[in-house]
Amino acid sequence: MKPVPFDYVRPTSIEETCALLAADGDARVIAGGQSLVPMLAMRLARPARLIDILRLPELSGVRDDGNTVVIGAATRQAATEHHPLIKAKAPLLAKVFPWIGHPATRRRGTIGGSIAHADPSAEIPLVVATLDAEIVVREASGETTINAGEFFLGPMVTAIPQGGLLTEIRLPVWSQPRLGVSFHEVNARHSDFAFVCAAAQVGFDETTHCTACAVGIGGLGEFPVRLDRAAKALIGTDLDHAAIADAVDAAMAELDIWGDLHASAEYRRRVGGVLARRALIDARQAALECPQ
Amino acid sequence: MSTAPRRLRYVSANRRVREDRRFVVGMGRYAADVEAANALHVALVPSAHPAARIVSIDGSAALALPGVHYVLTGEELAAATEPLMNGLETPEVKRYPLALKQARYVGEWIAAVVADTRALAEDAAELVEVSYEPLPYVIDAEAALRPDAAIVHPPHGSNVLLDRTFVWGEVERDFAQSQRQLSFRVVWGRSSTVPIETFGITAIWDPWRELLDVWASIQMPKYSDQIARAMRLPANAVRVHQDVDVGGSYGVKRGIKHTILCSYLARRLGRPIRLIEDRLENMRAGDAHGPDRIFDVSVAFNTDGIVRSMKMRALDNVGAYAGRAPFQLGKPIGAIVGPYKIQSVEYRAQSVTTNKAVQEAVRGFGQSPTNYAIETAIDKVAGALRLDRIEVRRRNFIRKGEFPYLIPSGTRYDSGDYHTVVAKVLDHVGWDALQTERNRLRQSGLLAGIGIAACLEPSGGNSTFEPLLNPKNTTSTWMESCRIHVDALGDIVTTVNTTSSGQGHETLVATVIGEVLEIDPDRIRVVRPDSLESMPSNSPVGSRMAIMLGGAAYHAAGKLKQKLIGIGAHQFGAGEDAVVYANGGVATTAGDRRLAWAELVNIAHRNWHLLPPGMEPGLETNQIYQVPTGGTLPTPDGRVQMYPCHSFEFHVVLLAIDPDIGLPKIHRYVIGHDCGTVINPHIVKGMTLGGIAHGIGAALFEEFAYDDQGQMITQTFMDYLLPSSQEVPEVEIVHHCTPSPYTVLGQKGSGESGYLGAPAAISSAVNDALAPLGIAVAKLPIRLAALGDAIAAARQSSKA
Ligand SMILES: Cc1cc2nc3c(=O)[nH]c(=O)nc-3n(C[C@H](O)[C@H](O)[C@H](O)COP(=O)(O)OP(=O)(O)OC[C@H]3O[C@@H](n4cnc5c(N)ncnc54)[C@H](O)[C@@H]3O)c2cc1C
Repeated sequence: MKPVPFDYVRPTSIEETCALLAADGDARVIAGGQSLVPMLAMRLARPARLIDILRLPELSGVRDDGNTVVIGAATRQAATEHHPLIKAKAPLLAKVFPWIGHPATRRRGTIGGSIAHADPSAEIPLVVATLDAEIVVREASGETTINAGEFFLGPMVTAIPQGGLLTEIRLPVWSQPRLGVSFHEVNARHSDFAFVCAAAQVGFDETTHCTACAVGIGGLGEFPVRLDRAAKALIGTDLDHAAIADAVDAAMAELDIWGDLHASAEYRRRVGGVLARRALIDARQAALECPQ
Repeated sequence: MSTAPRRLRYVSANRRVREDRRFVVGMGRYAADVEAANALHVALVPSAHPAARIVSIDGSAALALPGVHYVLTGEELAAATEPLMNGLETPEVKRYPLALKQARYVGEWIAAVVADTRALAEDAAELVEVSYEPLPYVIDAEAALRPDAAIVHPPHGSNVLLDRTFVWGEVERDFAQSQRQLSFRVVWGRSSTVPIETFGITAIWDPWRELLDVWASIQMPKYSDQIARAMRLPANAVRVHQDVDVGGSYGVKRGIKHTILCSYLARRLGRPIRLIEDRLENMRAGDAHGPDRIFDVSVAFNTDGIVRSMKMRALDNVGAYAGRAPFQLGKPIGAIVGPYKIQSVEYRAQSVTTNKAVQEAVRGFGQSPTNYAIETAIDKVAGALRLDRIEVRRRNFIRKGEFPYLIPSGTRYDSGDYHTVVAKVLDHVGWDALQTERNRLRQSGLLAGIGIAACLEPSGGNSTFEPLLNPKNTTSTWMESCRIHVDALGDIVTTVNTTSSGQGHETLVATVIGEVLEIDPDRIRVVRPDSLESMPSNSPVGSRMAIMLGGAAYHAAGKLKQKLIGIGAHQFGAGEDAVVYANGGVATTAGDRRLAWAELVNIAHRNWHLLPPGMEPGLETNQIYQVPTGGTLPTPDGRVQMYPCHSFEFHVVLLAIDPDIGLPKIHRYVIGHDCGTVINPHIVKGMTLGGIAHGIGAALFEEFAYDDQGQMITQTFMDYLLPSSQEVPEVEIVHHCTPSPYTVLGQKGSGESGYLGAPAAISSAVNDALAPLGIAVAKLPIRLAALGDAIAAARQSSKA
């Protein structure tokens, strides 16, 4: 479990990083290394050159941009977990950290690294997909913004072009007066990747009408999915249990789902639905408990 | 000879474990810490196929890399060495460190690459070109028995390594006369003890001294003999250094193939050779998997719950080579009826080869899977009769007054008081309250269950299962030794003649010797001589060291004490019966004359003229200690005294399952434990807690799983799931002490405690939880998603 020989560079600016990436097709970004280093050790990844972006100051940090919360790609998961702005304005993201690995891996692992790695069961990509966040990618030729819906293409496959650097994530901030979020996950051991997980964020007006709704499921197959039809069907309802069950069941029936040693496809379909329902019920409860 | 001390000072006392000091501060010295100047490193070329003929191996591209020294193939190694030891008479099932002509499982070592660094060796290993001709393969044990199955070792003629049926007592009569019968199947998945430290070795050959030096992470009986045989060296040309800490084992650290590979390379290349397994090598080809077993069990019983007879067939999937697997079907014979008075037993032990990795000894040596089968039977009897599961156990338990108790397969259990342990545990948990809590959980919508398991830990291991399963083997001793030396300044040095893998043997010998000599154990230095300087040892297997090393130390100390008494009596002009030994000194019974430790030592070391006539000068004694129940060979119908001592454990578990998800959560875990006299309470507690964690792993998480293509799909800790501190609940231990009449201090074994009953207890709890749905699980590990699927199917069909 020793990597193939590689070269290591630590650029000092985003421009330099992009130039290095553009110049070398066998170069690869390394951030926290929590996914890449094991892949190197098992020789599943064999880059000729690693470009270490962890110390680029422009890539780190969390800022309030009005309608969005902007997180630099190289911001550590642990720093995000404890950031007051995340707790206040991106509560769904704040919820998932305790489920991601261990305190030690969160101290090293980055937000952008998790998204770029695109494990179908990973929690941060699920939040990004559920909220349809924007992902900003820089190349030597310029900057593009990709919606989460077009970003995840398959297991460990994303829309980041060859030579692209993920620079920031923009999470939309909802304006509803009453907001509730919830996250549920099943795995064999608390710190593992999910067999299946579900996230929900709902907004209410002053009455008991749901005015905004997003729900997503991870661990089902190629990438985290956002249940758009279910969300649409639920907006305008009181989010009662029956409405939730109908909407979620209809949405689950259309999904393409994989099984493996740990959990069958039927399990993931059934329990994915259970978790999505629980997430919506809990999110509704949390929203209704918000002070008006 | 020596009489037991009246009041125990150090034994059972709340004293620190001396090894912990170095482990806690990170100052253990492991195989990978051994530095050898100029060493070369090995990496392995693994087979990609479960079965394939090796057509050719081309190492030229690897050798062309600067810094690469050698590419070794199976052909060269096999020509220069003897096959690795195989305890059965199956001469056509030959095993060498590197595959010879044919690969038999995915990951099997095809070639070894030697280079200046491990990283370079791995680069070069990728360049070795192996051309294979894939062959038919077989993964499943029952498939391997079919007449048209692919044969793993064609010269052997079939996949069957062992198929023997034992009948002890009037089984057919007892079945015919019993009022009820039931039959079932349970399956124990392939798991193991997976140590944090993988196997590691450094070997150096010195041609001028004709001496092979080995430092290894080893826990294996007769390691140096096995090296000598395979290397065609005299045993006195092999020096195994035993002052190496072993970072976890419980049976599996037996890297004999690694050792022969490195020893050969060291001799061939004239350089020190080092191989530290990486995790992938350890998991897929460390040849350290555990039992992989199907049990078909029938029991005959009466309506009062008394179980009269049992038929058990155990079919074990040993993998590609024999390893120690067949014998792991043998040890359970020594406790085949568990703690119960079952009068007759038919036991069919079947071992078959398949194209999976090789098994090694794993904690309990087959006992934990067997207990799972026995305890499932008792639960099922209770279920069939609608009797209380604990009451059925009570009715079948051997009673306190019936020991020593002879079981049908020939072992006499030493002692026990099962009813009292159970009563103490039920009292501790509050049995009624526990049932109320289960019912409350059920009412809250969960599936909740209470698990029960009772079982024995046969301990003090000898290897009687070897002659039992192989009549050509006539081994009837499995000795252990201890030497004590008192230097001229009066300081004590004693020996442990083997490596230890966390069992606390240094604490054990020091405590026992301190007890006998009435000297603070912390003043006793414990050393580990190398194998050339050692007395005979059979290493820490079969939960034996408290009994065997403890016994050897006790007797060696007794001899030393006797010598001091002789010296004292001679000075006093008194008979030996007119003097007493106390606190390291000797005094006349009248108390008018006394000699302190330092004076006695001085006489022994410097004053030959003061010694009794004929006494050797100096102060050194030793003991080679035989298993306390002696040693006999099995009768032709397979009856034999297996282990001398039998610890008892009784588990009670409360568990609840979220029915929509299948996730089981342990709410309470209580174990009652009786291992006789406890020598060090911290060690016994650590063993028990670790054993339960290990058992939870086997029950719920761990499996070396293979797919239909023969690929192992759990090669890393992402898929081979070890329970972590988040999954292992707090465990409450209830102690009881029934001393063994056979051992020097009444001690029994404890190295397997917890692990032997936990899987049965967890399974019992899950099945109690599932009972309202009318379903049961019969396979370990119980994966939560499979559990969820089974619950969903049961709810679906009850709706329909
Ligand atoms: C024991 C353990 C448990 C874990 N458990 C979980 C878990 O439960 N849930 C979970 O989601 N994750 C888990 N992880 C993975 C962890 O969250 C990783 O930190 C994360 O997946 C990758 O982030 P990183 O910064 O470490 O990226 P790296 O490992 O450095 O990189 C990962 C990939 O992303 C690419 N990359 C990184 N940053 C960029 C960028 N800015 N632009 C373009 N490409 C980039 C790299 O080239 C590489 O391909 C676990 C990891 C470990 C070791």
